Amino acid sequence: MMTSSLTSTTRRSRLKRKSGWRGLVYIAPAMGLVTIFFVLPVLFTLWMSLHKWPLLGEPAWIGLRNYTRMFTDARFFNALGFTAHYTLIVTIAIFAVAFPLALFVEKQRPLVSLYRTIVFLPVVVGLASASLLWVWLANVDSGLFAPLFDMLGLTAGRINLLAKFDTAFMTIIVMVVWKIAGFTMIILLTGLQAIPTELTEAARIDGAGGWQRFRHLTLPLMRRTMALALILSVTGSILAFDQFYIMTSGGPQNKMISVVYYIFNQSFVSFNLGYGAALSIALLLILVTLSVVQLWLLKVGDERP
Amino acid sequence: MFTKLMAATALISASMISVASAETISMWVRSGIGDSFKEVVKAYNAAHENKVELTEVPFAELVQKYATAIAGGQAPDALSLDLIYTPAFAAAGQLEDLTDWAKALPYFNSLSPSHVKLGTYEDKIYGLPLTVETSIFAWNKDLYKKAGLDPEKAPATWEEITANAEKIRGLGGDTYGFYFSGGGCGGCMIFTFTPLTWGAGADILSADGKTATLDTPQMRKAVDIYRNMIAKDLVPAGAASDNGVNFLSFTNGKIGQQSLGAFAIGTLVTQHPEIDFGVTLIPGVDGKPSSFAGGDNFVVTKGTPKLADVKEFLEYTYSPEGQKIMAKYGSLPTRGDIANEVLEGLDPRLKVGLDAIAVAKTPYTLQFNDLINSANGPWATFTNAAIYGDDVDGAFADAQAEMQSIIDAGQ
Repeated sequence: MMTSSLTSTTRRSRLKRKSGWRGLVYIAPAMGLVTIFFVLPVLFTLWMSLHKWPLLGEPAWIGLRNYTRMFTDARFFNALGFTAHYTLIVTIAIFAVAFPLALFVEKQRPLVSLYRTIVFLPVVVGLASASLLWVWLANVDSGLFAPLFDMLGLTAGRINLLAKFDTAFMTIIVMVVWKIAGFTMIILLTGLQAIPTELTEAARIDGAGGWQRFRHLTLPLMRRTMALALILSVTGSILAFDQFYIMTSGGPQNKMISVVYYIFNQSFVSFNLGYGAALSIALLLILVTLSVVQLWLLKVGDERP
Repeated sequence: MFTKLMAATALISASMISVASAETISMWVRSGIGDSFKEVVKAYNAAHENKVELTEVPFAELVQKYATAIAGGQAPDALSLDLIYTPAFAAAGQLEDLTDWAKALPYFNSLSPSHVKLGTYEDKIYGLPLTVETSIFAWNKDLYKKAGLDPEKAPATWEEITANAEKIRGLGGDTYGFYFSGGGCGGCMIFTFTPLTWGAGADILSADGKTATLDTPQMRKAVDIYRNMIAKDLVPAGAASDNGVNFLSFTNGKIGQQSLGAFAIGTLVTQHPEIDFGVTLIPGVDGKPSSFAGGDNFVVTKGTPKLADVKEFLEYTYSPEGQKIMAKYGSLPTRGDIANEVLEGLDPRLKVGLDAIAVAKTPYTLQFNDLINSANGPWATFTNAAIYGDDVDGAFADAQAEMQSIIDAGQ
């Protein structure tokens, strides 16, 4: 009795260990890829960040000096401030557009796939190509917006949208919403479609109005989807670079330097690869923190809805 | 079988030796400086056993690509490097010392002095002039005529230029009196705008390059001249966000006057024969003209095994034949002693570009990219903020402080 139970436990644990090894084998390719393309580069970046690492010449060990320099670097804080400002505004704008669109295309109605396709179409354009397209649209002489606004009487004469911060920023926000909202819409749509119709019906029978159903049924059930869409949008916005580089070259008067743009400038314009690496590590930490906070706020780990 | 194999091997190695005796030199050139270097390479390849293999690299990426190529051991044997970057690469110890060979050239003393100065680092010569480029002032003679101005009279002061611009703008529509790339194009503005202050004896950096001296009465006056023209609507609205892409707007025939590079004379003559234009030196704020001497230096990557062949090629470009080809395609002669002979029979307006060399200046600094050329550097930002912004004093103070901090950080 005693021995048999003992053998059975050892067998079970051996079995368990065996299946553990099998599991590892299954995930090995994925782990290999993650190691080669994420873990090792991050470790190397960390190593570089502890050096004065010019593009030409020999790297020199300087310990944490790149990190201490960061705290007195006003341009870095400007870039952080601008990135935060941009992320906040563009995320709100994207959700403000994508949520109504998702509600609109969720219901079966005539031509619904056409609407979905139209809204999703800009998503398949690359961000760099979209930026180039909008540079032309916003061009004061040969573009579309300035002559159009002039013709409609919205502006007195043609105005150069990209010459002033406010109008240039607005143009970029509209461009990004046009480009990204379709993607967020699709994510939200999957969340909406996952809500069982019985629940909505039950709520309706209980006499809940449209707003009440949205507030107490749809929103809580969409928490996970919202978390995904929010994290994707926030992360994407914090890493924004192409649109500023292509549409305004960081201008007017350097007011549109995002963090990634600043890292790019430090690394490949000023050739301070070590400092650029340190800034990248700092950005990575910021992103991880923000993602954890967002997951916690939306209580995604919590199993019960 | 064995003998056959031996014979084949011998044949192959023999052919390899014969290939090796005619060397192929790999060389880079940046885009956007016209065809002169490409044409001289073509002529060299046709007449010599050695061949030059030329790779064109986009101008904005050349420095970065060359630096990464050196780091990766893939650098070309030699390249045509924007002369303002020569000090930085020489200081980094990446260029071959050409001092002895250069000083032995019989015409060494007549080579463009600005180029040689920038090619010299700690008394050793690392770069020699390849293409010479100066900034000049151009006006559209047809528009002058239409506006009732004397098309043959070159404006000599900025008051005159502004008055002429007003008359040309008076033609209405999309005809404008003046143009410049004002959207934070540091390279364009150092090239065309600083001559206004140089002519009047001021500079944006001290002679040793260690102090930023941006805030001068001359610079204030120059900024006022441009601001005034914008306030009077003499400049197209697109200029405010032009980061250099439309630098050659003058070629559209609707711009009355613009400061350009001498290379543009070649472009206008060969590609826009319909535009009748005149050229003169860029007046300073007090009327005394100046110019930016730019262009490329010829530099050799340190440790190249083909040094002798590279020197042979450079001697060819300095020969009267090579100089003539370069000039024909828009690059001014680098050898002062035969300049007049080289320009004989070519467009007479190129002569103005050559005259500019005598009054031209080039700022000497190891941090040219950071300070001046970078679209996000203090100079590029300053030009847009001071000329288009609402706070001129703030623009001066910010740029002065940031330039100084970049200089100090680099010491």
